[in-house]
Amino acid sequence: MNLKKIDVNINGKDYCLEVEENLRLIDLLRDKLHLTGTKEGCGEGECGACTVIMDGEIVNSCLVLAFQADKCRIITIEGIEDEIIKNSFIEEGAVQCGFCTPGMVLAAKSLLDKNLNPNEEEIREAISGNLCRCTGYNKIVSAIKKAASIKRGGDSE
Amino acid sequence: MKKRGKGIACIFYGTGYGNGFPDVSRAYARLLKDGKVEISVGATEVGQGAKTVMVQIAAETLGLSDKDIVLINEDTSKTPDAGTAAASRQTYNTGNAVKIACENLREKILDEAVKLLGVNTKVGLHIKDGLIHVKSYPSRNVSLKEIAENNKELKAEGIFTAQTTQMDENGQGAPYWPYTFASCAVEVEVDTETGEVKILRAKHVLDVGRAVNPTLVEGQIDGGFAMGVGYALMEDIGLKEGRMTNGSFEKSIIPTSLDIPEIEKVLIEYP
Amino acid sequence: MNELKIVGKSIKKIDAKDKVDGTAVYPQDIYLENMAFGVTIRSTRPHAYIKVDTKEAEKIDGVIKVFTYKDVPGKNHHGVVLKDHEVFASKKVRRIGDPIAFIVAETKEIAEYAKNFVKVEYEEIPAVFDPEEAMKEESPKVHDRDNVFYHFKIRRGDVERAFLECDVIVENVYKVPMVDHAFLQPEAGVAYLDEDGRVVVIASTQYPHFDQEEIAESLGVNKDMVRVLTPAVGGAFGGREDITVQIHLAIAALTLKRPVKTIYSREESFLAHSKRHAMKMYYKTGALKDGTLLALEAKIIGDSGAYASWAMNVLRKAAVHATGPYYIPNVKVDSFAVYTNNPFTGAMRGFGATQVPIAYEQQIDILAEKLGLTPIEIRLKNCFREGSETSTGQILEGFIPLERCIEELKSF
Repeated sequence: MNLKKIDVNINGKDYCLEVEENLRLIDLLRDKLHLTGTKEGCGEGECGACTVIMDGEIVNSCLVLAFQADKCRIITIEGIEDEIIKNSFIEEGAVQCGFCTPGMVLAAKSLLDKNLNPNEEEIREAISGNLCRCTGYNKIVSAIKKAASIKRGGDSE
Repeated sequence: MKKRGKGIACIFYGTGYGNGFPDVSRAYARLLKDGKVEISVGATEVGQGAKTVMVQIAAETLGLSDKDIVLINEDTSKTPDAGTAAASRQTYNTGNAVKIACENLREKILDEAVKLLGVNTKVGLHIKDGLIHVKSYPSRNVSLKEIAENNKELKAEGIFTAQTTQMDENGQGAPYWPYTFASCAVEVEVDTETGEVKILRAKHVLDVGRAVNPTLVEGQIDGGFAMGVGYALMEDIGLKEGRMTNGSFEKSIIPTSLDIPEIEKVLIEYP
Repeated sequence: MNELKIVGKSIKKIDAKDKVDGTAVYPQDIYLENMAFGVTIRSTRPHAYIKVDTKEAEKIDGVIKVFTYKDVPGKNHHGVVLKDHEVFASKKVRRIGDPIAFIVAETKEIAEYAKNFVKVEYEEIPAVFDPEEAMKEESPKVHDRDNVFYHFKIRRGDVERAFLECDVIVENVYKVPMVDHAFLQPEAGVAYLDEDGRVVVIASTQYPHFDQEEIAESLGVNKDMVRVLTPAVGGAFGGREDITVQIHLAIAALTLKRPVKTIYSREESFLAHSKRHAMKMYYKTGALKDGTLLALEAKIIGDSGAYASWAMNVLRKAAVHATGPYYIPNVKVDSFAVYTNNPFTGAMRGFGATQVPIAYEQQIDILAEKLGLTPIEIRLKNCFREGSETSTGQILEGFIPLERCIEELKSF
């Protein structure tokens, strides 16, 4: 197996790693670095549980090879310090089994970093690549609305 | 062409194993040295909120805050059997077992309080915010922590069995209790050329008894509604000679955020 | 009633913080020292006699052991009601996906590679996929017994006479397919021996104490020697009622005396756990001119697939709920659970009470249309109220607010 050398910044920390050519980014994160907040739900880019932010864009880390992250900045759920989004998820009841939650929080973060005033449709669109089987999505949508409102300086209700 | 229409549906649902099956939940309650109360119960948190609900029921029964309850539910060597996390039975069945365990523990705590407070009976003692007061003279009180320090170990068990009867050869009997009731309305838009159905809005009314945690109940309505949408409109494992042709997330479609409307939810509560 | 202080309040879900932080531990997130990895070999044929040869696979560097039915120390079976599942198929597979062997290797990659070297010889035999075909005398038998393994009856009043009195009768057949729970967290687990020599199994399950019994029985040990730890569970919906990873891991950990982990892919998850029962529902419902329901006759055939799981209870629940929440004085219901060579079916949210509304609610809408009533009118006329009798003769007491539920929809 060919090894490739990569320089990657994960959650603000620089790593210089040697990775197998066919190693997926999700396996690098989980198996090598034990950043297990990134979940694998399907392995084919359908469910979004493995969502991470790569150079500002959300990607499914099961569809990215580790060496493709060379010179990139990766943010996983462990690197998200956005308490406004996280608290909104908790307060609105947007968390049930929690397996989709890290991916949902990252999708929300990516949306709100670009658009602090999303309408309902934009929110639903932003999380449409993330499957959830428990919540029926509505409380996740309200959590993101609430987080946006707080970030805009509105009150928390 | 796109056409719109409304429809309603009703259901009833018998909770629990039913039909006379031994439907038993057990729980332990124990006073810890720091005055908190530990609840051991084998009810699994599958996302539905079992942990939260059991803590709420325990805290309510003991007059404590939810922060004063320590829940142990993750190890069969430490927890009694509370049955399965299915059939909508954990809140009702195991919730009652937790309540009974806490009531039993409460009596033991009050017996000890009688000694420490120097009163002649536990009648009229009540627990509030971790303190046991003489009701008509609240400045005479003792904390749960003091009681714990003065005693080896106070613990109690709670057992709850849901009553159902087995049906006879004609299917006659009382197989489930309680039954719950619900109604639901949706407005949909149908593309008459493609057959695509879009759900525009929905209303769901659910008989819940007493909602222990309304947000969690609403979460069950939202999630159940979405699963119903999938069942009615999109899901099918696609069997062909015993083989699933839709055996992956690429093929087996489940609803996304774009398929689900906002739902007006009404909880019918009693008492 | 005393004023409640905490019950009735939407306090924050106590496990939510760990979940938003990504620190909640699901079984796939557990990494232990010296942990081996297991993968499962599953049947690719729906009905066949098998011969398994693991010799080549076991020669591969890094493969520790390949477990088959011969390596089950206790009973090679499990099942929530009937013990008709085998831990590993011994002579015959009954569906695509039946577990045949469990390869344990030093790494996941080696275990996956070794899959290619486990030889399974299939001698295919006639299979049956349609439950109604399976009900026939001459059809292939999935187990050594009749394929119809459960028949439940409700008999109330006199259906034949009542249909003669009906002004309108609606008769239809409804079919619902098998569907998957599609919980987001695929099955995974870890097993190891603790300091007291007990087998510890960490797996997502709905009922740890029952798993404990089933694991102990297959290990041939007292159940006190088995500890089941429940980590975070990524959704269940009934799909984690039956054993999947638990016994395989326990056998491997006990035999090898080291931690063993397995993780199913999404595709394997589809193969491993139960499905919602496909049902074919023959319905005949009759009413008087004013909309009063008088008679219902239903035949409900549930496809249990290759194993029983909860089929008896599910088909019974379907029958008990077959009238819908409406008073009908004359009822005849027959429900059947039938083995086929399809994926096995079991518990899924609603448990038989989910399939029948597809039939009874469409029946009532069609009746309403024929009688010139609105869907709300016909339901209000017949709905259960306090004191109503169900088709099983149960008198509904307490708070029965269905009428109010329906009234609430008038403003929609």
